[in-house]
Amino acid sequence: MFKLSFFKYSILALVVLFSACTKKETAPEPVSALEIKTFSNLSAPQTGGNGQPTGGVFTRFSFSENAVVTNNNWDIAFRGTTILVNGGTQIGITDEPTRTGNAGVSIVSGTLESVTSIPNASTFVQDATAIYAIPTGSNNGWYNYNATTNIISPIAGKVFVVKTYNGKYAKFEILSYYQNAPTTPSASSVSKYYTLRFVYQPNSNTSF
Amino acid sequence: MILNRYLTLFIFFLSNVIYGQELKKENIDSLQTNQLEEVVITATRTEKKVSSVPLPILVITADDIAKTGTARLNEILAEQTGLLLTPSFGGGEGIQIQGLDAAYTLILIDGVPLVGRSAGTLDLSRISVGNIERIEVVKGASSSLYGSDALAGVINIITKKTQKDKFSGDFAYRQASFDTKDASLNLDWKKRKLTTSIFGNYFSTSGYNLDKNAILPTVEPYSNMTINPKIYYDFSENLKLFISTRFYKQKQDNRSIILGENYQGISTIQEWNAQTKLTQKWNEKITSEYEIYATNYKADEFLNNRYDQLFEQNYYNQWLFRPEIRTHFSIQKSKLTTGIGLNYETLDRTYFGNQVIFNAQYMFAQYDWTLNSKVNMIIGFRYDNHTQYKSQLSPKISLNYKINDYFAFKTSLGYGFKAPDFRQLYFDFTNSAVGYTVLGYNIAQNRLRELEAQGQIVRRNSNIDFSNALKPESSLNFNMGISFQKDKVKIELNTFYNAISNLIDTKVIAQKVSGQNVFSYFNIDKIFTYGLELNTTYLISNGLKLSFGYQYLIAKDNSVLQEIEEGKIFARNPQTLQSFKIKNEDYFGLFNRSRHTANIKIFYQIPKINTDVNLRVFYRSKYGLFDTNNNQILDNYDIFVKSYFLTNLYLSKTIKKKYTIQTGANNIFNFTNPAEISNISGRLIFLKLQIIF
Repeated sequence: MFKLSFFKYSILALVVLFSACTKKETAPEPVSALEIKTFSNLSAPQTGGNGQPTGGVFTRFSFSENAVVTNNNWDIAFRGTTILVNGGTQIGITDEPTRTGNAGVSIVSGTLESVTSIPNASTFVQDATAIYAIPTGSNNGWYNYNATTNIISPIAGKVFVVKTYNGKYAKFEILSYYQNAPTTPSASSVSKYYTLRFVYQPNSNTSF
Repeated sequence: MILNRYLTLFIFFLSNVIYGQELKKENIDSLQTNQLEEVVITATRTEKKVSSVPLPILVITADDIAKTGTARLNEILAEQTGLLLTPSFGGGEGIQIQGLDAAYTLILIDGVPLVGRSAGTLDLSRISVGNIERIEVVKGASSSLYGSDALAGVINIITKKTQKDKFSGDFAYRQASFDTKDASLNLDWKKRKLTTSIFGNYFSTSGYNLDKNAILPTVEPYSNMTINPKIYYDFSENLKLFISTRFYKQKQDNRSIILGENYQGISTIQEWNAQTKLTQKWNEKITSEYEIYATNYKADEFLNNRYDQLFEQNYYNQWLFRPEIRTHFSIQKSKLTTGIGLNYETLDRTYFGNQVIFNAQYMFAQYDWTLNSKVNMIIGFRYDNHTQYKSQLSPKISLNYKINDYFAFKTSLGYGFKAPDFRQLYFDFTNSAVGYTVLGYNIAQNRLRELEAQGQIVRRNSNIDFSNALKPESSLNFNMGISFQKDKVKIELNTFYNAISNLIDTKVIAQKVSGQNVFSYFNIDKIFTYGLELNTTYLISNGLKLSFGYQYLIAKDNSVLQEIEEGKIFARNPQTLQSFKIKNEDYFGLFNRSRHTANIKIFYQIPKINTDVNLRVFYRSKYGLFDTNNNQILDNYDIFVKSYFLTNLYLSKTIKKKYTIQTGANNIFNFTNPAEISNISGRLIFLKLQIIF
């Protein structure tokens, strides 16, 4: 069968032709001595929403304690999709905690592992009147909202480097906004449950 | 009516020319036009044997069309290797060639262009296949002959012309699923020098609904009508006239649900084309063609609320007037073709401040050079001078080398462009519900100033500059292939590469007080596509033919590759949910492109019982429609539309050479994907009766 063999060879030639792309070696991610921790199911309830004014107590989180706290030693705080830092001044929203520390945040593009140095001090932002250090809204800050499925997905490659309330550093990424961090959240997934992956630098090093 | 006046003038002019001619004896060999080998005209604008055309070309004959039982152009094109039908706005279907969007293919009827791309694509179901002699598809940039829009390719629909010196015709009626009716009538009358014909077609369908829960159907019911009278008159062997006009009217239900309220209306399309061509043979070596073409495309739609009050109305009214003169010089075995012409184009539509006028002049030349019996080379260029954008010079060079009796080698390198369309230059649209604004490039500067004066603008984006005219989208196209033909086997292999630059896309130019953006159009992206196309046919025995077609395609965006290189694009690991950097191999490419498409066709003719069987299976591999993981690109971690197969079957029986009964089913296994594929309707069973007289 002339035709078949010709055909086979041409397909083979094709396969060879198109699979011969060069593969680049990527440098391995640097290994850090610091431990990567995960905090699951940080509950951040809010009242109102869906057109109603939002309210409710912000859930405060401390990186050094790896825990939700109720005292003033918090670094960031969550309510619904809104995230505050313990630094700067009041934004001007209901039930807002007073800022007692000097925290700030710098948003960096990368994987959590790839962010190894502390960004330039000028890139750190604090909350201020009508200004969110971590901007709100779909595609502005940390998440994307799909209007068809009503699913909130954290934007990939967003790393938040936090200057903590007492001047140390931490870096974190948000893995999920849903309870138990389902791989593909659905309409029945329970929202306002953050899963964070973070590294805390307890020393005064300028790197992670 | 200015156009009518032009036409009258032209006809007056014609009659003078005609009477001034010495009427020569009619050539008795006129029936010799039944060539032994298939001849095409689209590739070079002169008749040329398919085997010697140095470009990738596909010919679909009337016979090919008949043996599928299809009714509309989109259906028959969808069955060809390397042509992909993709759904566009408003339910129509556009065509993807060599991985390039439907906006980049020029559609011609008898050599003159169709207009009416209100949203970039031209709905191919507008065209009935009932009077098509053949369809020629030239793949790859062809702007060197056809100017704007011929970037991915050219599809030329050539209508039937009777050769029989008598009254003849045919009538066909096709009834199909979804209450689809298609009736066609061809009447031809030829007496020596005069050939007249009229084609009429009526089509109606009740549309279909893929999602049983949806209130509005996927495709609303519609009906349309085509009438195409033509006259050919041979004043002499050296002076031939062709006049054709085509009327098309379509009516479709228009329904919408806006904020829970029902709205109802009608959308209509009216199209008119008129072509007059005079072919004058000066002597054995020089022939001129004088062509005048005018076309109008009008679309109107409205929606009424439940109290029958007008809620929304849209209109689109485009005119094109195009005279062209071509002259062909035969120089030994070579041929020189030259042409000059002008385009006068107007558009008035909703969201335009005023009627817009485009004026362009062009000239082209092509040298079809036969070096010897083995080598044929075509060198050509076209120059387009335009009022609204930078003038374009489109060169092209191609080569055909007959290696031996069986093998031939073809290669071509050409430039293609697509001029910025009316919308990209003059759109003035503000979305009433959301509040964003889109401004055409040419009016954006002034409109922005006006909006600023009205206090609607918070800030203008920096780096926005309107001082240079918007550039046409342009491409460099390269094809290289080899063909083999011996006895019962035919194999054609072509590789292609397209590099497109200055792709026009929207960009934010300012922010409004409302927080919404103002957009305009800019030359932004660069993309490339490359791949391979393989077509084989094998005549197993008398009456049994097997064919196989395959296309491999890669289509990517250069700026995305750049960003990946810089490590700026991320995705999430589906298990751990951690972010990671997208690598080059994770990037799938442009949306709506499949890597692999293939088809297998088995045609079996049983002469004893005058029966034909034609079974076709089509495959399309997975492709992405949306960026589902929000990193703005299509990568392997997105959700893809799954690969699928479609199977079409056709059976026909001819009785007494005059009557044909055809039946069959397209999409036999009733494949549908309601959520992702809107243009695959599910199984369509048809019955068609045809009478030739």
